[in-house]
Amino acid sequence: MNKGSFVALAALMTVAASAFGLNIGDKAPSTSVKMKGVDGKEVSIADAAGKEGTLVVFSCNHCPFVKAWQDRIASVGNAAKSKGVGVIVINSNDPTDYPEDNFAEMQKRAQQLGFTFPYVVDATSDVARAFDATRTPEAFLFDKDGKLVYHGAIDDSKEANQVSKHFLQDAVDAAVAGKAVPVAETKFVGCGIKFRAKT
Amino acid sequence: MSRPLVNCGHAEAWASKLGHWRRSCAIGVLLGLGVLLTSCARTKSVPVENVSVTPVTSVDVLRAVHDSGGKAVLVNMWATWCGPCREEFPGLVRVAHKYAGQGLKVLLVSADDTGDVAVVKKFLSEEGVDFPAYIKAEKDQPFIDGLDKQWTGALPATFVYDSSGKLHDFWEGSVEFNVFEQKVVEVLGKQAKPTGGNS
Repeated sequence: MNKGSFVALAALMTVAASAFGLNIGDKAPSTSVKMKGVDGKEVSIADAAGKEGTLVVFSCNHCPFVKAWQDRIASVGNAAKSKGVGVIVINSNDPTDYPEDNFAEMQKRAQQLGFTFPYVVDATSDVARAFDATRTPEAFLFDKDGKLVYHGAIDDSKEANQVSKHFLQDAVDAAVAGKAVPVAETKFVGCGIKFRAKT
Repeated sequence: MSRPLVNCGHAEAWASKLGHWRRSCAIGVLLGLGVLLTSCARTKSVPVENVSVTPVTSVDVLRAVHDSGGKAVLVNMWATWCGPCREEFPGLVRVAHKYAGQGLKVLLVSADDTGDVAVVKKFLSEEGVDFPAYIKAEKDQPFIDGLDKQWTGALPATFVYDSSGKLHDFWEGSVEFNVFEQKVVEVLGKQAKPTGGNS
């Protein structure tokens, strides 16, 4: 199979998988997979889970959309953690073609942004595949019962001064309060995850 | 780093074979120039003032698909900041040119900020896009869902429609020329027999 066919097949499989991706109410997959954090410690989604819920964000360093939202990822994430929601940010990108996504740059970014939660490497990209995550930054919020209550964007504008809907923040607040999340799913344009080849 | 096209051989062979190498290298350089010129002809740039980029909503894009009069219509969502989008662009432009005479219409829709239209035009100019192009001028969620609910928002994304405007194929992620060609030919209902244009 030539490279083009492989890429096409992979892309089509991605689309096919989307039809069977996580739905609202589903439990998080791959929760026991240990991933290396920027502090050098191995941590899983289960390790990062909080008593009020768990926020999983697929992100990276190089993507212009991540750069636009990274301050808000930090602020929403830190606020969620302070409310008892476990937070983990996962970089599933293959840094081969995007060196800015390597581990050393992740360490710098986490420090610059003041993450109080793990920023980890999905070394096979399989955690992203299990979530059917496709782009960065893409958020999944699970409530205290471990059920998916929000999936999508951080908010409704890449430009911080034009935000009118704080989707993720509102979802966290609702989940912690035991209320229904106002908007459970949102879509946004983002950088496609640069998946490593399947092993 | 890419390898040089012409390798002039090992130093230890130079003393006895210098004349031979000079001749070989001269031929190699000429052949290389020929390949380079041919390659340049394939991706001939167009004057930036001739590049047309129209702001669109998802409704506008679907209307353009219906009104294009194409036997096959390929819509590609891309952005100048998206590496995989840039990688697949030459193949995309090549298929647009190769099958234009057989009724293929290609609608390139940039997801760059509308304020970056000059950057978009410059890129399209360099890539030799001599047909109308577009730029997204609608918020992400309504644009994504309006175009097709299968699309997660990841870039690049490609949609192939038949002459009635019915979606024939969709995928996320970059592909090479041969995949674009295969998908287009499927809709055109023909074998790959170009009738001219830049191939």
